[in-house]
Amino acid sequence: MHRARWGKSWIAGRILDAHPETPPVVVTDTVKNAIRIVALDQRARARGIRPNQTLSDARALVPDLDCHPADDEASRALLVKIAGWCERYTPLVALDTAPEVARDHGLFMDITGCAHLLGGEAALIADLEARLRAQGFHVRLCLADTPGAAWAMARYGQARIIAGGAHAEAVLPLTLSGLRLPPEMVASLGRVGLKTIGCIAGLPRAPLAARFGARLMQRLDQALGREAEAISPIMPVAELSTERRFAEPVTHQDEISHVIAALAAGIIEPLERRGLGLRNCRLKLFRVDGHVSLLDVQTARPLRDARMISRLFAERIAGLHDDLDAGFGFDLIRLDVVHADPFEGGQTEMMAHHAAGQGHDALVDRLGARLGLDRVQRFVLADTHIPERSFGRQPVAHLGAPGSGARRSAAGNAALAFSPDPQAPCEIITRPLILFDRPELMQTIAEVPDGPPLRFRWRNVSYEVARSEGPERIACEWWRDGRGARTRDYFRVEDRQGYRFWMFRHGLYGRETSEPAWYMHGLFA
Amino acid sequence: MSLSRLQTATDILKARTRAYEAQAYQAHRGMALGDGSEAQPLPLGASAVDHCLDGGLACGGLHEVRSPLARDIGAATGFALGLAARAIHTDRMGRSGIVWVSDPATRVDGGGLFPAGLAQYGLDPSSMTMVEPGDLQGAMWAADEAAGCAGLAALVFQIKGNPARFDITATRRLMLRARQSGVLALTLRQSGEEEASAAATRWRVNTKPSGADDTLERGVGAMRLLLTLERNRAGRTGQWLLAWNPRDRSFHHAAPHPASRTKPSAHPLDRLPASADRPGAPGQMGQVLDRRQDFGRAS
Repeated sequence: MHRARWGKSWIAGRILDAHPETPPVVVTDTVKNAIRIVALDQRARARGIRPNQTLSDARALVPDLDCHPADDEASRALLVKIAGWCERYTPLVALDTAPEVARDHGLFMDITGCAHLLGGEAALIADLEARLRAQGFHVRLCLADTPGAAWAMARYGQARIIAGGAHAEAVLPLTLSGLRLPPEMVASLGRVGLKTIGCIAGLPRAPLAARFGARLMQRLDQALGREAEAISPIMPVAELSTERRFAEPVTHQDEISHVIAALAAGIIEPLERRGLGLRNCRLKLFRVDGHVSLLDVQTARPLRDARMISRLFAERIAGLHDDLDAGFGFDLIRLDVVHADPFEGGQTEMMAHHAAGQGHDALVDRLGARLGLDRVQRFVLADTHIPERSFGRQPVAHLGAPGSGARRSAAGNAALAFSPDPQAPCEIITRPLILFDRPELMQTIAEVPDGPPLRFRWRNVSYEVARSEGPERIACEWWRDGRGARTRDYFRVEDRQGYRFWMFRHGLYGRETSEPAWYMHGLFA
Repeated sequence: MSLSRLQTATDILKARTRAYEAQAYQAHRGMALGDGSEAQPLPLGASAVDHCLDGGLACGGLHEVRSPLARDIGAATGFALGLAARAIHTDRMGRSGIVWVSDPATRVDGGGLFPAGLAQYGLDPSSMTMVEPGDLQGAMWAADEAAGCAGLAALVFQIKGNPARFDITATRRLMLRARQSGVLALTLRQSGEEEASAAATRWRVNTKPSGADDTLERGVGAMRLLLTLERNRAGRTGQWLLAWNPRDRSFHHAAPHPASRTKPSAHPLDRLPASADRPGAPGQMGQVLDRRQDFGRAS
């Protein structure tokens, strides 16, 4: 992680491995009409600069201060990246962005049931801290039964691990700021002599709630474990997950493909046991330096074939615009099944569909994996007569396969499916094969008030109209386009050489406009 | 080993070689090989064209449809979609999927397929899968993948002009994959010149004025396409005036428009329909009666 990537976010308290003679780094922001220091590195601290000091005072102390304005966006982006990396320990990683606390944001991790994978709680904490320190972060960690207690102890206490059930006693001596309260509330509680959590824990609740609001009681209960507090993970929790850890980081693409194949093979058996087929799965590659690469693969119908899965990932990797940057290698590769659907049909039915459906679906999955899901589309109808709005395109992966009895309308909106209409092909063709996304303005000589065009100029070529049919009037959608919308009169026109066009007059002559414009909208075969 | 037995063995070998050669020749022409497992030719429905093609287009193979001018793209699309619709209509295995891969350069013109028009043309819009990669390389890869997918009825690969990257090697790869899978692979080349390719046939599509309609005096009649078979690896070339029937999903011969009937050639023997009115037509010097030996050569 480089400074360039994160902007000027030094709030996380990164230790600079810079030359000792480089100037101390501080981050400033406007607080109470003065530019004040909101974060600083250890060299600045060593030279007597304190947080909340005004910049002019700090400059008086240390003239060669390297100061940067605070960038909350960059800080948040950094925090999200760290959260993504922390998913190597548990899938439940949440951003702690309590509104009461202005800048002192952190992460919550729920490691219930995960600690034993790394050899216990102490080992997990030690591993987490060592790795983050190696990446250059200064971290404060605490493991406790409740998020509130861990929050308080990480910031205002010394303990790294609070034993199960002991969190209430542990947080009582801590300052009231540890309850994630607004600074004004802490200040006013301090004025009446209530300075630690223990002070208010023993007091009658009703007067406190009446005086300072229910929020105080809620935060106290959350810290002491009387009230449950849910954290909201930043990533959806996978239905199934399998991973490989490496003592020696892997860098070569061949090794990575091998690992993917092994992971995919390992995920088939649990899927079979649950009767599920994979619809969406995500590969997470944890690089040694803390970067996490995510590769998503979606399938058009539930899939349970390890070879197909690893092939889709091979296409996905091949479709990356820049190669998968392995850097110094990946030390953890994880395959998550983000979404799985019931696996329909038995083996025999599969074989029957092999010729018709299966090959087509597999093709769509491969194309989507390599080119991007939104580049493989199918038409959907919309309920309108305006030609360019009468259809849309939806990624096939969100629609389900054609011909499958249960067509999924996962999109949920006005995505009507086409019904094969036996009457649809007809002798008289009124709709063009090719429609322009935006109708193109042309210069036209036409009969007034509502006659067909006689001569027109489109894309710098003049055409003489030989035959024409129309008008076919399509009224505007006043509920959508508002009062000024105009009616369209569509004409089918053939010029002397035989080119067939679909064009319209925009606006009724005399009623809606005095000079109706003409637009080219489509080409017939 | 006596001489006679050696002779017999040599004869057997020769016979086998001949059989293989015949087989290869048949496969080259995309004809059915005795049993029905091989792809049947796809007849267009117009008798003269089918006769020229020995029964129809080779279904597992690459064919190129080009339109000389950008505004001819409507007619060329119509011909390509007509072939695709016929491929679905006549498919015995129930395959109904069409994959339409388009090079991003074709989007510059701002046109796209219109589902309502497709439905009237005799195609189910829900059978179309549109693939729009971000660059030509991705488009060529997608076309390769689709050509190799036996579950498809047809693949249309729309490109614009003559990109250098889409060369004879790329077309040969497409041709081979389509032949293996039995997919009708079509290259739809908008405003492109003739160039060497491995395609089995190359068609030029021009639009022609529609015929007079009895009911509507000035009305637009049924469409007419002037089809020029510019190149045919396994047979003759020719030029025909065709119309499309959406209900039957077949082409048929159209009567020439009375106004556009050209005067007969001064030299009755000077018949070279393929190069009749294309830019690189031979000059009027002398008479070329037969250039058939040129057609079989892979250029």
